[in-house]
Parts: sequence; C-alpha cells; structure tokens
Amino acid sequence: MIRARGPAARAAGLLLAASLLLAASLLPVASARAEPAREAVVTVQLGNAVEVVDLATRTVARRIPVDGAPAGIALSPDRRRAYVTRPEGHGLAVIDLDAGRVTAEVPLPGGPLGIAADPRGGTVYVADWYGTRLFVLVERDGALALDGEIAVGASPSGIAVSPDGATLYVANREADTVSVVDARARRETAVIPVGQHPFGITLDPAAGRAYTANVTGDDVSVIDLTTAREIGRVPTGRRPYVVALAAGRGFVTNQYANSVTAFDLATLKPLAEIEVGDHPEGIAADPETGRLYVADWGDNALTVIDARTLKTVSEIPVGNGPRAFGDFLR
Amino acid sequence: MKKITLATAAMAALVAVTAQAHGPTRRKTAESIEINAPADKVFKVAADWKDAGWMQGVTKTETQGDDPAKSKRTLTLKSGNTMVQTGGKYKPDDRLFMFYIDKVDVKDLPANDYSGTITVEPQGDAKSKVEWKAAFYRGYMNNDPPAELNDENSEKAVKAWMKQSLENLKAKVEKGS
Repeated sequence: MIRARGPAARAAGLLLAASLLLAASLLPVASARAEPAREAVVTVQLGNAVEVVDLATRTVARRIPVDGAPAGIALSPDRRRAYVTRPEGHGLAVIDLDAGRVTAEVPLPGGPLGIAADPRGGTVYVADWYGTRLFVLVERDGALALDGEIAVGASPSGIAVSPDGATLYVANREADTVSVVDARARRETAVIPVGQHPFGITLDPAAGRAYTANVTGDDVSVIDLTTAREIGRVPTGRRPYVVALAAGRGFVTNQYANSVTAFDLATLKPLAEIEVGDHPEGIAADPETGRLYVADWGDNALTVIDARTLKTVSEIPVGNGPRAFGDFLR
Repeated sequence: MKKITLATAAMAALVAVTAQAHGPTRRKTAESIEINAPADKVFKVAADWKDAGWMQGVTKTETQGDDPAKSKRTLTLKSGNTMVQTGGKYKPDDRLFMFYIDKVDVKDLPANDYSGTITVEPQGDAKSKVEWKAAFYRGYMNNDPPAELNDENSEKAVKAWMKQSLENLKAKVEKGS
C-alpha cells in the first residue's frame, strides 16, 4: 500500500485521504463530552501555578507549580493534558492532569499568551502577543515541538479552531481584525475587520458564527463564518474580554464592570448583567449542565453561573490571580 | 517640510498604535489607612470628583463632565505632566468609588491600564477605614522590561503612590478642611 506507485494508486490514495478527511469533519468534536465537566483547570497567574478544581466538592484538588506567569490554556482532545502558556517564562508547559505534574516545557520566543489545540489532536497553536504570528507546535513521538509560524495581525490574542481542524480564527488585538487561517497551508486567507481591540474569540460551529470581545470598544463583534464578515454588535459592560456560549445565549466577562453580560444569540440583544467578582477574565461553559465558570482575577475565585436562570450559583476560592484564558473544563 | 511633517505624524501615529499593547501580567496591589473621622465625611473627600488634590503629586484638578461614574478629569502633577482619569463607579450608599487612569507618564507612575477601587468602612461613629485596591500592568509595555519598569518595581512605585496619597487624605480630613 505504502509502496504503491503510479497515477491509479495516487488517485486511490487521494480518494482515501479525502474520505478520511470528510469522515473526520463529520465527527462531533467539541460536543463529544457527554458527561458534565468534573474539573476546571485554572491558570493562577500571580500564584505561578495551575490549579485543578473539583467542581463537585468546589475545592482545589491539585496545585501544580508552573512559573513564568501562566495565562493561556488549551486541553488535548482526550482532555488528559493541558497546554499552558508562560508569557514571562517565554514558553509553554505540558501538564499531565491526572498525574498532576508538568511533563514537558517548550521554550518559545516573544510573548506566548493565547493558545488553542487542534480538536483532532497532534497540533497546538500559540499566539505571540508581542508579534504578528502564531507558533505551530506539532507532536512527534509524544513530544511537542515548534514546527513553524503563521503570519497574522498585530498582537494576536484569542485563537479558535474549527471542529475539523482546517480553519483557525485569530483575534488580532492591535489590528482590530480577525484573521482566518488555512491550517493546512499555514496561511492567512482572509482578514475580517471587527471592533476595537478584539481579545477572546469563540466559535459556534453549528450556527456558523464566531464571537469576539472588543476590549476597548465595549462590545462583541458577531462574525458570519461563511461570508467571513461581521454581521452584528452586542453592547457589553466595560472592557469585555472573553465570550462563552450556553443555552442559546452568549456570556461575556466585563473586566472593569465586575460583571458578565448575557445576550440572546438569536436577537443579539443583551438579556442581563450578572454581577461576579473583581476583574473577571476567562469564562467557559459546560454544555451538559448549562453552567458557566468565570475566573475572577481580582478576587481569586471562580464564579459559577446558571445559563438559564442567569443567576450566580456559587463561588469557589482559588489561588492568586486566576486567568483561565482558553478551554479549561474537562 | 510638509513631507517631513507628514512622515513625523505618521510615525507618531504608528507609535501611538503599537504603544497600546501592555505587558502580559496584570498586577494587583492594595493599601489601607485608618482615619479619625466619620466614614461619610471621609468618602466625600476621597470621591470628590472636582478635587483630587489628596492624590500624591496632584496640583490641579480639571473636570470634563460632572459624573464621577463616567466623566473624565485631567490632573496636573508636580512634574508639570498630566494624569487623565475616568470615573468607573460611584456608589455613595456603599461608599465606593472606582476610577481608571487613561493616561499617565511612566516617569510619574509606572503603570498601564490602571484601575482603582476605593471603599470607606465605618469603624464606630468617629473612625473609618479606607481601602484602596488597584489593578494595573507594569510601566514597560513590551517584552523583557528594564529593571525600573519591571513588574516588581512598577508594583513598588504604585504601592508607594497609593500609600502616600492615603496619608495625604488622612491629613486633609483630620485637619477638617
């Protein structure tokens, strides 16, 4: 099979590759987790640690020291490993979450901050906050290593990957744009103008949309993925940071307002402003329970919100300066 | 000549744009002080939108709008530079005032994207406690900061500014002015 030569064999190979790709793209990836999230994996930036929070007992179950001001986080598709950026350590740490220890460190230049993992596994993308590039890290023989760069806009921050792994969406904070990137070609294919200083970016693949929080514009840009165009704006509180989606609603952390703005995904109208802790940053939704978890940087806590009642449910104390910028529930 | 002016303007614009990014790690610090005066009286001075004279180094307050929850004010400093603040929250019932520093020279205060929250709690009828929490990024915007503008020294300088300001507030209120 591997030794096959000639046009017919090549065509058959291409056909096989194409059908594999098609099959891969049809797999439900992000929603594969059918059980409620058990743990939140929180980068505790000022405490130089990653904390694994048991969501049932509402306590920190494991604390893993990670120096270099850990900020961004992504999880492997099997959710056993965490990839954590260390902007002041200039690199990335790989954590075995069950063992509760750092298994590898990958040095990176610039200011590694935003991070996302290919849902199919094997590839991790890291944004250089001080530059105009993404780093592409590829796993070979179980070790993650820098494999190349992709040119994007200024101060790339949040990264989102389509469920089939083929397309990346990057919020470029200083360029006021979102880059659309062909992951295979490692090339920017479109630039979408959005609001002022987009930071977090979140995909709704089923609806064909992306949402990015415009930090100094005090609003959220709604992007249609098919036309690669901004189709709406949602007003938020001051300094919106990251968007999470649950129960047909969007939820945005407002860093300066100490609140989360909830909005309707159909009408794009705000529904409520929910008070949380001081300087809320990362936010993630558990689709199974409709719960949202918000990292309160100033108050050293996770605030839990019910997406349907729009009320806070509880508060979980964590270490100093939680960021949890990325995908942090498992 | 005109070309040079345009080029200079373009360069200034470029600098202004690139200068907006900040360090990757927001810092936090807090200071508090006990004042021998009732809480309402202390809050009135601390949150006086038209007079920020108790903040260390401030020689003049000029307001652009009257709403301490969202207007801007320009404070002239001893150095001759200005500090521009925007009101964030003003809740007299909770004795809470929140403000942001939009613009300050790092030589005057090595901080970017500074936000401060001041609360006044009664300690009996005649005493009160002022708490001031702050969040900010270090003075140096870019990677690998010089020592004087790194996280540690920026934090030290911001903390000292807040501490001195609170002492000024205490002196002003207790003097009864």
